[in-house]
Amino acid sequence: MEELLNGYFLQVFVFICINIILALTIYMTLCTGLVSLGNAGFMSFGAYTSAILAMKLDVPMPLSILCGGIVAAAVALIIGIPTIRLRGLYLAIATLGFGEVVRVIALNMKITNGALGLSGIPSMASSLSDYASDLGLIDALGLDSQTAGQLLMCIALLILVVLIFFFWYKLEHSRVGRAFAAIKADEYAASLSGINVVYYKMMAFLFSAFFAGVAGALYAHATYFISPTDFTWHKVVDMLLYTVFGGSNVMWGPLLGATVLTIVPESLRAMSEYRDIIYGLMLVALMGFRPDGILSYDAVKYIARRLKKSPKGGN
Amino acid sequence: MNVFSQQLINGLTLGSAYAVIAIGYTLVFGVLNIVNMAHGGIFMVGAYIGLLLVTEAGMGIFPALIGAMIGGAVLGYLLELFALRPLRRRKVTHLAPLISTIGVSIFLESVALLVWGPQTRSFPSTISSELMDMGAFKISGIQIVSLGTAVVLMVLLALMLNKTKIGKAVRATSENIETAGLLGINTGLIITFTVMLASALGAAAGVLIGLSFNAIEPTMGTAMGFKGLAVLIMGGLGNVEGAMAGGFILGIAEVFSVAYGASTYRDAVAFGLIILILFLRPEGLFSKAGKGGRP
Repeated sequence: MEELLNGYFLQVFVFICINIILALTIYMTLCTGLVSLGNAGFMSFGAYTSAILAMKLDVPMPLSILCGGIVAAAVALIIGIPTIRLRGLYLAIATLGFGEVVRVIALNMKITNGALGLSGIPSMASSLSDYASDLGLIDALGLDSQTAGQLLMCIALLILVVLIFFFWYKLEHSRVGRAFAAIKADEYAASLSGINVVYYKMMAFLFSAFFAGVAGALYAHATYFISPTDFTWHKVVDMLLYTVFGGSNVMWGPLLGATVLTIVPESLRAMSEYRDIIYGLMLVALMGFRPDGILSYDAVKYIARRLKKSPKGGN
Repeated sequence: MNVFSQQLINGLTLGSAYAVIAIGYTLVFGVLNIVNMAHGGIFMVGAYIGLLLVTEAGMGIFPALIGAMIGGAVLGYLLELFALRPLRRRKVTHLAPLISTIGVSIFLESVALLVWGPQTRSFPSTISSELMDMGAFKISGIQIVSLGTAVVLMVLLALMLNKTKIGKAVRATSENIETAGLLGINTGLIITFTVMLASALGAAAGVLIGLSFNAIEPTMGTAMGFKGLAVLIMGGLGNVEGAMAGGFILGIAEVFSVAYGASTYRDAVAFGLIILILFLRPEGLFSKAGKGGRP
């Protein structure tokens, strides 16, 4: 137990949680068949908003993180109005362009401190551990305050991931989710059956941007330092890879993809210069052999059936 | 006035290279209906091939350009064989080729980083960079080579597409692939040919940009690939003439934005322009009906 609680493992766990949220944001737009490549832009809006609010205005952290998400969603609304009506590829390129524009703006603005980035962002771990020590929790656990803070951050993030997952799961199994699925299957047929395609696409796009903003804010408070290089095109590729590798048609896909692809590079530190080469080849091979990712719809159904069966077999 | 015409020449030179990149995108989009994200990577490798042929093999710039184009065509063949052809065999969404070609671009960039290192390289000064005074503007030897080559390539391409049999086949395939197949065109062959042609043009653009910026680095593909995408949107997907015009517009817009103020925002100009265009004319500036952005 002591070994598991070391800072390194906890840090990796924090990144797994953030990456799961990012992978889910890609999944959310894919639910309606939209390919949005601007999530690094929304992420940087969230990160910078939350960091600046917390640093300059002393806004409490939960509120600043929420603001990060809201600002990202507001920007998505402005970007979405002209672009959401566009066919798939136009949207992909327009959002990709949006991400680049945001990065260049962040590089040139004073409030974002340009290429140097913002450092000394209030840490989520230490604010959580302060809060816990006020309640006398830390002494009860018998941990030093740094580990306790990190542990609490892990727990908080895990709860958040579960909440987001549950929220989207519920949404997908509601009337809204069925509309999403109809649009994904055939936009034209969906609009003929009275589904307001633009409305639902916009909804998915806004949710995706909101959670990307939240993930960005969490990233800022987890690493205490952000710069425009954190939100480049490569970040989008990472997110896409998590979702596509895990499985882009089922919710468990992004979860699996983000977890595996965060742990594997960590354990292969020695091969880090080959990481991107392997990633590139993996994307090509995946698309060639298994374009729906590791977990396809059928695979999930199969596993679910097996899981249901096995307790019976035990009896 | 002198400043204006000078900037215009600079803009045309830059724009001609952008146009050559964007034509590569638009040709592939025409026949396959996909955006080839690996185009930037091939562009970058083309620049390196050209550079190595000049520095290591001691070739002149024009043989090196042709060498780079051949290298680009070979890469295009491999790209089509490994990343695109397997996807055509089964019914996949438009996400699959996008991601597959992103994979190729990451692969090319990281291999280049490993083989050639992250440092910026430049062409030896074999071509005169001396400025020639033409009265209203000054133009360097590099600019003449770059602009001239791009224009020649575009004219040759236009002739090939409009006057030859294979060009007609490419246009027919891009109009409607099923009908073209029914009419006896070997569409598989035409697709391979088009991807190779586009990649050769991309590699040529790499050499031209490498010459005029005098900087070749592994990351140049991504940055320049994005600008090519911007031009693609500007000209309308699948529209070759639109890509040519869009390239020149972007080149001139960029040079003027640098000359009159916002130099640090240079890289945002391209996408600022497309976001503006998407507001006003989402189907692209020169788009014909049919291949446009509307569903």
